[in-house]
Amino acid sequence: MVRAQLFVTCMVDLFRPRAGVAAVQVLERRGVEVEFPGGQSCCGQFAYNAGHHREAAAMGRQLVRAFEPSDAASPSADPPTVIALSGSCAAMIKHEMPDLLERDALQRGRTPATAARWRRRAEALADRVVELSEWLDRQAVPGPEGVGTRAESGGPASSGGPGYAGASGSSTPLKVASHTGCHMRRLLGATEAPLSVLRRAGVEPVELDDAEQCCGFGGSFGLLEPDISAAMADAKLANLATARGDGVTCLVSADLGCLMQLGGRLDRQGDAFPMLHLAEAVDLADRHRLTPADIERTARSQEADPDAR
Amino acid sequence: MPGELPPAGATWPERRRRALADPAMRAAVAKSTRSLAVKKEAVFATYPAAEAMRKRAVIARRGSLARVDALLDELTRRVEARGGHVVRAAGPADVGRYVLDVARRRGVQRVVKSKSMATEEIALNEQLENAGLHVRETDLGEYIIQLAGERPAHILVPASHKTRQQVRALFDEEAAACAVDPPVGDATPELTAFARRQLRADFLAADMGISGGNFLVAETGTLVLITNEGNGRMTTSLPRVHIAVVGIDKIVATWADLADLLQQPALSGTGQRLSTYTTFITGPRREGELDGPEEFHLVLLDNGRHELLGTEFVDILACIRCGACLNVCPVFRTIGGQAYGTMYSGPIGVVLTPLLGGLERAPELPKSACALCYACADACPMEIDLPRHILALRRTEVERGMEPWSDRLTFELWGRFWANPAGFRFTGRIARLGQRVYVRDGRLKGAPGLVGGWTATRNAPPLARESFHEWWARRRASRTGS
Ligand code: SF4
Repeated sequence: MVRAQLFVTCMVDLFRPRAGVAAVQVLERRGVEVEFPGGQSCCGQFAYNAGHHREAAAMGRQLVRAFEPSDAASPSADPPTVIALSGSCAAMIKHEMPDLLERDALQRGRTPATAARWRRRAEALADRVVELSEWLDRQAVPGPEGVGTRAESGGPASSGGPGYAGASGSSTPLKVASHTGCHMRRLLGATEAPLSVLRRAGVEPVELDDAEQCCGFGGSFGLLEPDISAAMADAKLANLATARGDGVTCLVSADLGCLMQLGGRLDRQGDAFPMLHLAEAVDLADRHRLTPADIERTARSQEADPDAR
Repeated sequence: MPGELPPAGATWPERRRRALADPAMRAAVAKSTRSLAVKKEAVFATYPAAEAMRKRAVIARRGSLARVDALLDELTRRVEARGGHVVRAAGPADVGRYVLDVARRRGVQRVVKSKSMATEEIALNEQLENAGLHVRETDLGEYIIQLAGERPAHILVPASHKTRQQVRALFDEEAAACAVDPPVGDATPELTAFARRQLRADFLAADMGISGGNFLVAETGTLVLITNEGNGRMTTSLPRVHIAVVGIDKIVATWADLADLLQQPALSGTGQRLSTYTTFITGPRREGELDGPEEFHLVLLDNGRHELLGTEFVDILACIRCGACLNVCPVFRTIGGQAYGTMYSGPIGVVLTPLLGGLERAPELPKSACALCYACADACPMEIDLPRHILALRRTEVERGMEPWSDRLTFELWGRFWANPAGFRFTGRIARLGQRVYVRDGRLKGAPGLVGGWTATRNAPPLARESFHEWWARRRASRTGS
C-alpha cells in the first residue's frame, strides 16, 4: 500500500471538512493509505501575504514539523507524498516557505547554520507536496474516451480502486464550470490537471470567459478591500451566469478560497448555485452520484459526512 | 536621495469610491485592457522571432542597469560632442528650474509636449504654467486628459477610460473657448480631425518642444522616441528649442541592444510589431541641415532611481512602460487608473510609486491595490518580479508599524495560536462559540475586526460543527475501538 499524508488546509478544516472527508475517500479508493498528521494547522500564507512574515514563519515551522517523518518511521523508506487540498497553499509551501524560514531564522538571530537547516527542512516538505488534482492526474492514464481508466501499473492506485467511474451511463456528460485559482494556474502551472481530472470523472468541464482573471479573494486584500474584491467577484459571477445559461450544473474548484469568495458573494445576492471542491466532485463521481440532485445536496451540506444525516 | 512625486489629491477611500461608482469608466477600462491583452498574446503567438528577441532584450536591460553611471557618462560625451546640452536633475525642482532658465533665455512663450511619463512624474506642466508659459500636450490621449484636467489613467493609453461621447463633450467645450468649429460628430475620425486641426496650430506657434524618451543609447548618444501619432516628431523638430526629460533608467549600452529592445514596447503594449513612428535624435540642427531645433537639451532625471540600484528592487528600473501589467491586472480592470492617485497606475505603479515617492506617499497601494494573482509577473516582458516587490513593500509597512494597532494585534495573536496544534484547535472551538452572535439563517453575516471586511460584502458559511481534525479523531477512535 502506498502511504500519503493529507494536508487539508485550515480553511477546509474549519469551514468545509466535507472536502477533506471526500479526499480521504477518493484516495483510499485508489489504494492509498491516508495519514493525517494532527499537528497541521495553516501554511501561513495569509499572514505572509499581509506582510506579517514573523507570524507566517511560525506557522510554517509548525507545518514543517507536523509533516516531518518521525524518527520511528523506517529511515530507509521514502517519506510519503503530501497531498494538499489547495493549489494556493501548495504554492505557498513550494515557492515561499524555504526562503521565508531561512530569512526569518536569521532575523530572529539564529546562526546561519540553523537558518540553512530550516531552509532544507522546508525544501524537503516542498518537494513532497502535490496538489490533489495534480496527484490524481498523474495516477491515471487516459483511456480511449478519456473516461473510466485506472492507474498505470505499479502506480499507487493499481491495487484495485474504482478509478474514475463516470457520472452515470448517460450519453451526454454533465457540464460543470471549472475555476482554477491564480496560484494554482501561475505558480504551480497546473491549468490542465483539474480539467482532465474532471473529464475522467465523466463530466464536461467548462472554463469561464476570462478564466485567468482573479476571483477577488486575495487573502488580506479581500478583507481590507471588500468593495473592490466584491466587484471582482461580480465580474467572475457574470461570466458564470453565461455558463449557467449554457447549462453547467455547478462550479468546481480545487481551491476553497475561490469557492468561498464566489459562493459567499452569490449568497449575499440571494442567488444559490452549487459549488464543489474538486475532491467532492471526484468523490461523487466515484460513487456514480455526480448528478444534479447529489451535487446540490453535497454543496448544501457542511457536515463532514452528508450521508450520515 | 529619494524622489518626489506629486501628491495623490484625494484620499484612497475617496478615490476608490469614485472609481467604483463610475460604471461607464469601468466598462471602458475593462474593454480596452482586455483588448490590448488579447492583442499582445496574439502578436507573440504569430511572430516567432518575438520571444527570443524579448529574452535578449531582458539581458540587455539588466546589463545596462549594472553600469548605469559609466553609460550615462558615455552618453553625455557623445551628446555634447554633437552640440547638445546634458544635465543631471535630482528631482522635480531641478528640472523645472532648468527648463524655465532655457525658456527665459530663449524668450519662450508657448510649449508643445509629446507624451512623457517622466514629466508627469515631476508635474512639469504645472511648474511651467505657474511661470506663465502656455503648455499643450500633443499626444491625442494626453490632449484629452489635459482638457479634462485629469491625470493619465493608463501609462500607455492615457485616456482609455473615456468614452467617445465624453471626448466629444470636452472638444465641444474647447471649440467654444477657442471660437472654432466643434467636431462634426463623435466618430473617432471626426474627433481626431478636430484634435489635429487644433494641435497643428499649436505646433506651428510653439517656441519649445518638450519630449520624454523611450531609450537612450550610450554608444551613439541617441535619444529614441517611439510614438503612434507622429506628434513626437513635430514636437522635437518644429520648435526652436527641444528639451528631452528622460529617466536615467532608460539608458542602454549599444545599438545592438537597442535593436532587441525597440519593438518591445509595441509588442507587449499594443500587440503591434513596431510602433508607427520611431525617431532617433542625436542633437540639434547641424550646419547645412534644413530642419531640427536650434538647441537640444537632455535632462537626465534621477528622482529616486539611483537609490534603487543595488537593492532587491533594481529590476523595476528595467521597466519599458509598456502597460502590459496594467492590462492583465484584475484590480486595474476593476478600478481604473485614476484611483491609484499617481501617474504610474496598475502593478508597476503599485511598486514604483512608493519606491520613487516613499512608502508614506502611497501606503495603500501595495496592500489595497493588489490581490497577488501574479498575472502581472507573467505578462511583464522585462520579467520584473512585481508580486515579489509588492510582498516586500507590505512587509516593510508591517516592520515600520504602518498598519492599525488592532490589525497588528490580530496577526500577532493569530500567529501565536496557530503555530501550535493545541492553539489551533482551541481557536477553532472558541470561534465556533463566538460566531453564534453573527450567524443568521445558517450563514455568517457579520464578524468583528479584520473578518468584518469579509462580511461587509460576502456571506460565509459558519464554522463547521465538526472540524476535519475532530472527524479524523472520531473516525480513528471508532476504528480502533471496534
Ligand atoms: S512593469 Fe513590465 S509589464 Fe509593467 S509596464 Fe513595466 S515593462 Fe511593462
